[in-house]
Amino acid sequence: MSDSTAITPKDLEHVFYPKSVAVLGTNRVVGTVPHDIFANILKDNFQGIVYPVSPKERAVAGVRAYKYVLDIPDPVDLAILVFPSTVCHLALEQCGQKGVKSAVIISAGFREIGPAGIKREEEIKEIAKKYNISFIGPNCLGVINTDPLSRLNASFARKMPQEGSIAFLSQSGALCTAVLDYAQAKHIGFSKFVSFGNKASINEIDLIRYLKNDPKTKVILVYLEEITDGAGLMSIAREIISETGKPILILKSGRTREGAAAAASHTGSLAGSDEVCDAAFKQAGIIRCTTIEEMFNSAIALAYQPVPQGNRVAIITNAGGPGVLATDATVAQHLQLAKFSDETTEIYKKSLPATANIKNPVDVIGDARADRYKVALGSALADPGVDGVFVILTPQSMTDIENIAQEVCTTIGKYNKPGYASFMGEQDVAAGINILQQRSIPHYILPESMCKAYASALFFREHRDQTAELQTEFAGIDKQKAETVIQNALSAGRKYLPEEESDLVLKAFGLPMLPSDLARSKDEAVRMAEGIGFPVVMKIVSDDIVHKFDVKGVLVDIRSAQAAGEAYETILRNIATAKPGAKIKGILVQRMVTRGEEVILGVKRDPSFGVVIMFGLGGLFVEVFKDVSFRVAPVGPRAAGEMIREIRAYSMLAGARGKKPRDIRSVEECIQRLSMLALQLPEIKELDINPLIVSDEGGGCYVADARIML
Amino acid sequence: MDKSDIKSRVEKVTALVLKVDPKEITPTANFAFDLGADSMQSIELIAAYEEEFNISMDEQKAREVQTVEGAVEFIAGYLK
Repeated sequence: MSDSTAITPKDLEHVFYPKSVAVLGTNRVVGTVPHDIFANILKDNFQGIVYPVSPKERAVAGVRAYKYVLDIPDPVDLAILVFPSTVCHLALEQCGQKGVKSAVIISAGFREIGPAGIKREEEIKEIAKKYNISFIGPNCLGVINTDPLSRLNASFARKMPQEGSIAFLSQSGALCTAVLDYAQAKHIGFSKFVSFGNKASINEIDLIRYLKNDPKTKVILVYLEEITDGAGLMSIAREIISETGKPILILKSGRTREGAAAAASHTGSLAGSDEVCDAAFKQAGIIRCTTIEEMFNSAIALAYQPVPQGNRVAIITNAGGPGVLATDATVAQHLQLAKFSDETTEIYKKSLPATANIKNPVDVIGDARADRYKVALGSALADPGVDGVFVILTPQSMTDIENIAQEVCTTIGKYNKPGYASFMGEQDVAAGINILQQRSIPHYILPESMCKAYASALFFREHRDQTAELQTEFAGIDKQKAETVIQNALSAGRKYLPEEESDLVLKAFGLPMLPSDLARSKDEAVRMAEGIGFPVVMKIVSDDIVHKFDVKGVLVDIRSAQAAGEAYETILRNIATAKPGAKIKGILVQRMVTRGEEVILGVKRDPSFGVVIMFGLGGLFVEVFKDVSFRVAPVGPRAAGEMIREIRAYSMLAGARGKKPRDIRSVEECIQRLSMLALQLPEIKELDINPLIVSDEGGGCYVADARIML
Repeated sequence: MDKSDIKSRVEKVTALVLKVDPKEITPTANFAFDLGADSMQSIELIAAYEEEFNISMDEQKAREVQTVEGAVEFIAGYLK
């Protein structure tokens, strides 16, 4: 993990806008990386000076070469290293002596190849530290800046992309070349294009931070294979989105569940790295993409068009079927079909044929030409009840595709509302699509992709406009008491808090506990049950027993003093059979809540993102359907509410099928208190409250069972 | 064969394979960094040394040799 705090946007200025560049290790063999990088810098009209550094060439591509970087008479702002990995340290050492402060290490053969490579990478990191050099790579494709002030193509990509407002950062170099090819075909331009490889010095957070104030960049795309500092990534994303309104889209590969299998709690086993990543991105307002295509679909929407102000969309189509498909996709993305104003409806009545459908989706009929699209599209965009427009075209014999494309571009350009297009087909519509793409109208082959892109843009707007949430600070917290319980357990060498100790910790942070007491004899159990009030639950308490149900150590629905006495003896007999020799502390007598919904709350510490809070419905919903939601702490009231609402079974809490709604506000408070607890007690590794029983609205909720792992 | 003999023959072969001025071939010269050997030329160098000295070297270990004096020592090990 790089020390990203040491790298500032100013350091990166030399990477993107160097006045002079030296390519160390270049040669004259066309078609090799060392040669082509130098040739690309020359060919793409770099605005500064470029020096080839080659041990044995007198010149490369007609430019006088230097044997060592130290031989260059002038200062060098940026060094590009293309030497074999075995000698990169020598080249970097000379860069340091020369006073070069920025480098791009293209060479492979470092961390990615195993122990020998790791050693080499450590060596170059040490040299960089000694000379205060920031570098991109190693093991990368290079850096491209399309800004006419620089025009630096320090990469071995086949072509310099066209200028645009999208920045693309990638951990994979090979993916970069594919993306450049894909983007070129769609007339997508880039502001900055960076392959950062092993990120041994400059990482994605440093680059994103630089792009915050890059006037050429409107949208930031990142391809990541591993997240080394999740909390840092969330922080910079929030900062950029709220302060500059630049969307960040991340394609994170490696959707694995490693690490989850070894977890001891429900939360631990459910909160795999990918689930946590999903939740964290959502919380930070980062648009997570699953494919390159999806990423660019959303990117062009955000880069080319205004951000939608709402979810009411109008669909303009020249065919019924695609209109229905688009309607289905609209609904599936939680968008609404806009209801047109009377004025718009009047215009449609007057201007469109009698057979046209003037309600949303507007069908302008198969013989529609540009003038009909103009009226339908312009009126929809002018309607205050419409937030955005989808234009669909199918190529029919009467369809004047190119003129319609021009009209769509012109009309959308007149309004400050987003307009996207889907010219369905391939060959016949190609010329029209080309016009749309060249005039920066987001185009999608399928209406479904168009709707998803709109939904992503809307997600971005909602998060951009939200204020940051802080941890709710509750009064009356007895942190010291909780710490004492934890320290006593740790001193005794225990990594697990039994229920009565877990209860003390939770109670100290104000979580609502059911009245309970620990009975050490049958008589005590009876007396306590009578004092608490029936019905009660009785549970074995022993450091040697973690899963109480498995050893029949829990009996429920005990409704009389006699039953309480019998239950005490039954539990002891069950333990003697199932777990002979277990050291028993006593039997917990606890009030039983008979009415309520069972939910689960949990805490896990993620190595990258930090404290993660989980919420879900109990029982089958969590065990089988894994219907849970996550947030990275601190969790404020808004995030707590979102966590509850986003599970699929939310209607069970909200009052489905005539049932009374449950006390959701009390659960929201519990989530926030749990977040506070987990942030203040770092010794807690995992925690489950299972179940938390939620009563009807106004009735509160109660922790019925809890487990804490240290 | 003594070390100075090995050294002069290593220098001769190196200059020939890498097409560099023999004056550039100092004992501490690094094949890649100072003499510009690329990965293909590194393999050619190993083959040329084997032919020159009529030995068969461990290629993996030979590739780890980075300097001219390192090559002299490495080859001397085979000629004992």
